[in-house]
Amino acid sequence: MFFGLGAYTPLLFYTLWGWPPIAGIPVGILLSVALSVVIGLPTFRLSGHYFSMATIAVAELIRIYFGTWTLVGAAIGLQGPATGRAWWDLTFRSELPYYYMFLGVLALVLYITFAVERRRFGYYLRAIKASERAARSLGVPVRQTKLQAFALSAAFTSTAGSLYAAKTGFIDPDSGFGILVSVQMVIIAALGGAGTLFGPLVGALILIPLQSAVNTKFGGGGSGLTFIVYGGIIVLIARFEPGGLNELWRRLAPRLWKGAHAA
Amino acid sequence: MLLEATKVSKAFGSFWAVAGADLNVEEGEIIGLIGPNGAGKSTFFNCLAGDTLPTGGRIVFDGKDLTRASPEAHARAGIGRTFQVPMTFEDMSVLDNVMVGAFMRHPHRSDAREHARRIVELTGLRPDQPGRSLGTPGRKRLGIARVLATEPRLLLLDEALAGLTPTELQEAISLVRKIHQTGVTIVIVEHIMEVILTLTRRVLVFNQGHVIASGTPEAVVRDEAVIEAYLGRGSRRQRE
Repeated sequence: MFFGLGAYTPLLFYTLWGWPPIAGIPVGILLSVALSVVIGLPTFRLSGHYFSMATIAVAELIRIYFGTWTLVGAAIGLQGPATGRAWWDLTFRSELPYYYMFLGVLALVLYITFAVERRRFGYYLRAIKASERAARSLGVPVRQTKLQAFALSAAFTSTAGSLYAAKTGFIDPDSGFGILVSVQMVIIAALGGAGTLFGPLVGALILIPLQSAVNTKFGGGGSGLTFIVYGGIIVLIARFEPGGLNELWRRLAPRLWKGAHAA
Repeated sequence: MLLEATKVSKAFGSFWAVAGADLNVEEGEIIGLIGPNGAGKSTFFNCLAGDTLPTGGRIVFDGKDLTRASPEAHARAGIGRTFQVPMTFEDMSVLDNVMVGAFMRHPHRSDAREHARRIVELTGLRPDQPGRSLGTPGRKRLGIARVLATEPRLLLLDEALAGLTPTELQEAISLVRKIHQTGVTIVIVEHIMEVILTLTRRVLVFNQGHVIASGTPEAVVRDEAVIEAYLGRGSRRQRE
């Protein structure tokens, strides 16, 4: 849902007042962070699956609401600038500027994640993940820390949504708030290794080309297939390797190394 | 008085796990809580640590009312606790585990690291060992190290020495002594009488949610009510 907010905000401000999309990105981030706090405060009382279900419910509500709200284009959605007036419209004819723009943001997000991991905040998050009860007994303010993490991830996701909207120049309720958007992000992280710095990167490197291949091969009829592939991946990860590829690599790498020496 | 717990009670439905227990702790004491299984020691203990909300009574620590305060607030106020089952942060190294505790009073990474390193040294653990590879004695030690890093004034040890071999037990007892000598007040729940007799000067005996006896460990083990609680009514007749 933060992806959708991030995608809608720049395009909405462009449509209403002709703001350059780049100016809408920080506003999208602010809105997303605010929404994360509003959702986080009551739902952090829920744990595990129930928390996920509550957030999915909110995303669905927003999707359905946006589908009938004429200000945001209802079911048709919103369009960005057809041709850029200047670089700050983030509308380019060539793919190259997008590439460098996304690369820059990726580097920034990785750097922030890396910095967070080393700080008190990162230690607290790992402690909460391992055992909330033990963490609290050591003075970790669990609710506050979770809320900050949720807000930070909302900011990241919102930025991703804004970039997506800038690149495609178009957003509708399904591509902004559809359940597939959230599921895709979770699967990418789980496949590579959730809770690791480079796991999601590896997951994306595998999953996105796979998805493009499926789409090319089966055309528009392939979108249902994407769900099937995702479902299969979820089952495989949950059953055999909850730590994702990162964990698999950690277990297999020493053995491969030894095998190479023996040969 | 460092800790004053007055008429603390905890009911689960209609069952009173703790029914009006009192405990006063002076700064610098080591106090033992003993009693048969299911006597309410652990529930009382959890009330003191803020893990369980008492149904009634009052808990005052260093002049502050902590009766309804969260576990985090207890930790910040200076009450530290260990768990019967150590709950190690498995994916983190020993040093990182201890740093989580150290961060409470040392927000900067380098300060927390240095503080944690000193405590790991005191407990004789290897700082870079992964949490998941520790055995039971190591986990218990790490549990103590982690909470020590929060610099508690009152340390609540919940069977921190159970399940150890005799040699490990001696090491653990000397560790608790060392901690006590640094000025930390200690309340210890323990089944092993050897620990209680060597470490504590004052003991509370729980049975069925009530404190049935208190005094020096030597006096308490001769107390008729205590013997009856542990061995049953028949024991008196047999001894006569």
